[in-house]
Amino acid sequence: MFSRICLSCRILQVNSKNYPGALYRLQDASFNTDSTLQSQRNTHKRFRILRRLKIMGPPRKDFPNFEEMREKQKMTPAEQRQDMKKDGRMPPRSDRVRPINISCTGVIIDQYVPPEGDGKMSSISGEGAKQRLKEFGKKGQSYMQLRKIKQFDEDFEVKEFAQTAQEMYIEAQNLLQDVEKNEDKLHELCSEKAYPEMTYMLEEKTFRWRFLESVEPPRVVYVRTQDMMSKENQYAQVTVRMHLKQTLAVYDRFGRRMYGSENIARDMVEYIVFEKHLSNLYGIWRVHGKIVPDWMPVSEPVIRTYRKKEFEEIVEETEDSTDKEVVSKDDNPTVATA
Amino acid sequence: MAVKISKMCWNVLSTHPRAVLRQVPKCSSMAAVSLQPQCSAPSLTSILASRDIHTCTTLHKQNMFDPKFKYLKYNKIVYPPQEEGEPRRPAEVTYVRSNIKYSPDKLWYMAIMIRGMSIDEALKQLSFHKKKGAMFIREALLEAQEEAVSKHNVEYKSNLWIEDSNVGKAFHIKGIRRHARMRYGFIQFKYCHYFVRLREGKPPKHYLAPPETGHQKMKNTLQEHRNKRVFGGL
Repeated sequence: MFSRICLSCRILQVNSKNYPGALYRLQDASFNTDSTLQSQRNTHKRFRILRRLKIMGPPRKDFPNFEEMREKQKMTPAEQRQDMKKDGRMPPRSDRVRPINISCTGVIIDQYVPPEGDGKMSSISGEGAKQRLKEFGKKGQSYMQLRKIKQFDEDFEVKEFAQTAQEMYIEAQNLLQDVEKNEDKLHELCSEKAYPEMTYMLEEKTFRWRFLESVEPPRVVYVRTQDMMSKENQYAQVTVRMHLKQTLAVYDRFGRRMYGSENIARDMVEYIVFEKHLSNLYGIWRVHGKIVPDWMPVSEPVIRTYRKKEFEEIVEETEDSTDKEVVSKDDNPTVATA
Repeated sequence: MAVKISKMCWNVLSTHPRAVLRQVPKCSSMAAVSLQPQCSAPSLTSILASRDIHTCTTLHKQNMFDPKFKYLKYNKIVYPPQEEGEPRRPAEVTYVRSNIKYSPDKLWYMAIMIRGMSIDEALKQLSFHKKKGAMFIREALLEAQEEAVSKHNVEYKSNLWIEDSNVGKAFHIKGIRRHARMRYGFIQFKYCHYFVRLREGKPPKHYLAPPETGHQKMKNTLQEHRNKRVFGGL
């Protein structure tokens, strides 16, 4: 009560040219007397504009607005375009030309479909023998394509190639354990399509892969060639079936096991596609991709659990737009999908 | 002020020196532009614009709009795989909310308040806090939590505690304020950074040193008395 300062008799006079009628009495201004520094300051709402006028420094609008910038960074390209359109600006366009890579194709040509349950049946059993027979029927096309490879590469031997291909694959997998160090060597062993696929999400993780033994000798199951842009520019792709005993483990940044185990060995049948740029005099065979058949069971999930994300339901577009609005307003549906 | 801002914008063009060494075209083009009117002959220009020499003067300055923090390098550390039976190594996530339009001096109170709290407790305390700065910290914590779960293999988002919570000074703008009798004063419009380190697990019982028990206090006091020496005495 006593600490309140009453300055009712003081009158503040302002330049009437700028603020006509700005003649106020300070009688109901309350003062904060908690700290000595604040005590002499006027905190009344009514004089806020006048107090602001005392500041001669840089105008507020010149201050960089980082909040706005942060929001704009989160925008999707479509939203960005919309935002720029509002201001009448041209959409963002870069002068950079997209590079074209012709040292490898971007796809697996005419993908090989592995027989169902491959690797589980012995070739002596009835089911296994049937599979072998079926495969034999499919080989016609591959022989035609093989002849084409031999036009460019006379020394190409299918049996020898299967063995070298397996060695190449094992080396590439071993090098994957330290991508940063072995980047150059990996580019020699993998095509430009395969490299990003193999190294995806491996940064800041520890990847451990070990080859134990070859259960079955590797064999070539499929051969295809294709030209790109011109007839002379030829590419060859060879699918090799490998049956390897191996261990795999992935550790996270803190050395905690995320996936697999180093102690459990597994027999895996793998179909690896190798590619060579035939027209290139110095072209080499490189790992190009892996075929994962549709019938294969889903691989083991990672050890940790995840929280299910909640997505908004996508309302299907109907002709009657008014009907749709009513539904979305009333129900506001949200359906959780993984 | 307009001059000041434009100078700052100029810094956007130049980035960190190490980054510039890699982005050669950026640097060389700037050098070429600035030097072309002076010497049209390609000799000097081409030498200066070559790969490893940069001719920009503001290279050492940090980009205000995209600051690089050493603090975030903790997120790049990769630990070796753990042996079986070893206690599980708790995850550590650092996060920086940069360039907040708020005074670092004021934000500091909220920053130290949440040290050693579990993340849920900190979020709760901040949401009831009166000051505006609490909102910034709360947002930063939520973002850090999200990052921990999505990027750093933290399984449960509530299983985190605040190991480190600090405030840093960002750039300040100088302003002038009119006083009575032809006098003036300077004001600073301040920006700040907020740094937080989250650690997986439950918070420790005592974030700081544990309080002394009665016995310890008594011991200390006695020791203090015993340490007394009469000046000039034996």
